[in-house]
Amino acid sequence: MDQVADQTVTLENWDELTDDQLDVLERKIAAKYIHIVPWGAVAWGIGNTLLWLSLWPLVLLDILPLWLGFIIATFNCALAYLPSHEAQHSIIAGKGKPLRWLNELVGHVSLIPFSAPFRVARATHMAHHRHTNDPVLDVDYDTTARNGWHFLYKSILRRQPGSKSKEAYPAALARTEQSHLMLDILIVNIFYLAVLFGMAWTGHAIEAALLWWLPKNISIVYVEHYLSWMPHHPGKETSRYRDTRAFKSKLGNIGSMGMQYHIIHHLFPRIPLSQHPAVYREMKPILQRKGCDLGEL
Amino acid sequence: MEQVIKILFSPTAFAVGFLWPLVAQTLIATNTIGTGWQVWMIAALIVTPFAASAQLRGSWIWIR
Repeated sequence: MDQVADQTVTLENWDELTDDQLDVLERKIAAKYIHIVPWGAVAWGIGNTLLWLSLWPLVLLDILPLWLGFIIATFNCALAYLPSHEAQHSIIAGKGKPLRWLNELVGHVSLIPFSAPFRVARATHMAHHRHTNDPVLDVDYDTTARNGWHFLYKSILRRQPGSKSKEAYPAALARTEQSHLMLDILIVNIFYLAVLFGMAWTGHAIEAALLWWLPKNISIVYVEHYLSWMPHHPGKETSRYRDTRAFKSKLGNIGSMGMQYHIIHHLFPRIPLSQHPAVYREMKPILQRKGCDLGEL
Repeated sequence: MEQVIKILFSPTAFAVGFLWPLVAQTLIATNTIGTGWQVWMIAALIVTPFAASAQLRGSWIWIR
């Protein structure tokens, strides 16, 4: 077995390997990438939020035109989630590690433009990983859709005040005995509304709408599309190698925020996003043998 | 306390706190209507059906 583990999966005889041998190779490949600190994600998370915060004085002081601020803010909001996602999985630093504080800082700070609470995102995202594609227990299951237009339609409906999908996160927190984190949701949303209401009634409603409210809502569609819907479509299987797929995005890997290789993330959640393409290339023969849906990638 | 939170996060609060001034300021910024009480009345007329639908039916856009 050790000899097999030392070989690469591009060996001509790889399809003669047993399932156990493939598992060893899979873990061996993953191990090479797991302990890499994603400094790019650290800079991305903190820099993105600082850039977004700087838009407010720049626009309000007429240094930056509002239309340009809106475009930048939309990118900021769309880019806000993934650095926090790295932190949710403790990829920057695990518990007890010297850089743990940085992991938590990136998690909290990067989500500010998205106005989402980090600890809730972490708790509910773990539920998604544990129960991917489970209609009841997967908090993101409601993003499943027949096609892109159906996804968009459902995404709009999910944002309505009476939507039942709003109950998925509190329910997941309750199931995992973390209902105390509802306070985080409350604090973040009160702050978000206070800013919107305060700006609106001091004559800056359009600025608030174009720097936060609209960018955030556009971004939610984009993030859910690439992080939830596309990688798990059609959302019917729950096994390790079939609950997530690889796919070729029309917007490429950067335009889809690296989600073409999301299957790697679900197999090994501690591997940094930036390493997914390399891991995928190395692991592809194994994934094919395991019956994964790799699309055209 | 629970009642206060419900009111704060209600569609009506969002309509009054944000959408109403947003629509009014948009009408002014686009020179659709001049400043004055009329713009606030028209903004309220525009926002009210959406707010009522959201509050009573649970959807800003009727469908749900």
